[in-house]
This record gives sequence, structure tokens and C-alpha cells, in this order.
Amino acid sequence: MEQKDKILIIAAAVICIVIACLSPYIASSNPDGLEKSAEDSGLAEDFSVEKINGIPDAVLPDYAFANDPENQPLQIVALIIGIIVTLGLGYAVATIVKSRN
Amino acid sequence: MHIPNGFIPITQCIVYYVILIVALYFSVRWARNNLDEKRIPLLAVLAAGIFAIMSMNIPIPFGTSGHMVGGALVAIVFLAPEAAVLVFTIVLLIQALIFGDGGITVLGANVLNMAIIGGFVGLYTFKGLQGIVGKYPAAGVGAWLATVIAALACAVELAIAGTFPITIGIPSMVLYHVFIGIIEAILTVIVLAALDKFRPDLLVWNRGDA
Repeated sequence: MEQKDKILIIAAAVICIVIACLSPYIASSNPDGLEKSAEDSGLAEDFSVEKINGIPDAVLPDYAFANDPENQPLQIVALIIGIIVTLGLGYAVATIVKSRN
Repeated sequence: MHIPNGFIPITQCIVYYVILIVALYFSVRWARNNLDEKRIPLLAVLAAGIFAIMSMNIPIPFGTSGHMVGGALVAIVFLAPEAAVLVFTIVLLIQALIFGDGGITVLGANVLNMAIIGGFVGLYTFKGLQGIVGKYPAAGVGAWLATVIAALACAVELAIAGTFPITIGIPSMVLYHVFIGIIEAILTVIVLAALDKFRPDLLVWNRGDA
């Protein structure tokens, strides 16, 4: 890998980690546009149009550790895990599908 | 605008998965011809950056919040909505399986809205306007419109699913995303300007065939 690509990855990783460290403290906990529209539509929090079985539980539900969901430092850890997994999978997929020319 | 599990019946989810498979076929074909070695790190950092920024919800009016999505950004960086399909399939798969954000059953619908519709609307608005208003205003308008049209599509899908009443779901989704789209526009322009300043070689629009 070229030096400038290493710098790109490091710079992006730093930006992502800064966002991860801030989000648990400063991100708005208001419902997002879709959740608010669901409220406007009178849907219950756990609304489901039909019963769907067999979906495995999320490992880190709502970007937190299930046994301590309000713990903000652990939320940072959850986000950083997600950033690393996404970066790794993104790199792997791009390497697999890249141009062979 | 991550649709959760349970908002779309399974039979309709299958339709959206078929759309996803067709989109992935074209996206892999695009990558085989156009994704050169030096843009592999770029695709990976865009995926990671989009994952991270989606955690940063910013308040908008009406007691609501929203975050950047990034479909228009990826499509404009690569001048290809196919790149957005690849990036969002990765990000949304991880968010659904590990973090329970957006459902795995509705992955096809979420990729359709954020990457296919968001990417196409963002890129082609950009292409249509850049000669008239310049590339950054064109990218900003493209990103804003991508957000609003993707939200509209999402509301229509949820109306077809029988989840949102059409008379409430559509105006609500569009109204909130008119504001969320402003966040999208600002951050899209900032990231494009930063890439153009520090790594102009990575932006396909600098290759002369934009």
C-alpha cells in the first residue's frame, strides 16, 4: 500500500474514532425521521405488521452492550468495534470485486 | 431512515431482496471494470465513515433528529451509484446483524432507499446541475434531494406494506427529511471538498470524464 493511502486510512480512522467518542454524549436521542413518522402514524414502539421468527438477537443492540446499555464508555467501544468491522469488511469486499484490468 | 424488522411483510421483503441481488450483480460488474486498486482504501474508509457518522444524530425541528446517510456522497465520489450499493450493503448488513439498527429482513428495502435511490438521485442531480451552478452547490442540492426522495420512497414502501397510512406517512417522512437533507447536503460538500483538497487523485470527477 502506498504511503498516502496509509495516511488516508489513518486520517479516516481518527475522524471515525472522534465521532465514536462524541456520539454517546452529544448525539440527539430524539426519534429519527422514520421513528417520528411511525409515532405520527400511531404505531406502537414494538409494532410488527406480521410475526417474524428466527431472527438472531443483535450482538450489540442499539450500539451498546446489552448488559449495561446506558454505559457511555461501552457505547464508544461498541461504535469502535463497528468501525473496525466495517473498515475491514469494506476493504475485503473491495479487494475481492476490484478491477482485474 | 433504517426500516426495522416487522415493518414490511416477508413476501414484500423478498421482492426487495431480488432488487438487491440485481443491483449487486450490476455493482460487482461495475467494480470489475472500474474499481482500481488505488480506490480500495477509499471505498473502505467511506464505509467506515458512513457507519460512524450514522451514530451522530443531530436535532431538527418537531422533536426529531437525523443523521447523514451518504448515498449521494459515495455515488458522486465514484461517479457511480454502483459504488453506493456496495458500500451500503456492507454498512447496513453490519448494522442489522451486530447492532439491530435496520432489520436484516428489510435489508433489500434499506439498500434500495439509501443507496440505489439515494445514489442515483444524488449523482444525476449533481451531473445535471454542476455545469450550471458549479460542482459543490450541485453536490449539495443532489445530497438534499437524495435524502428527500429516499424518504419519500421509504414512506411509499411502508404504505404498500400497510404500516404507514399513506396520508400520514408520506407528509411526515418528507417533512422531516427536508430538514435532515440539510445535514446531508452540508456534510456531503465538506467531505467532497476535503477529498478534493487532500486526495484529488481519488475523486473520479478529476479524471476528466465527469
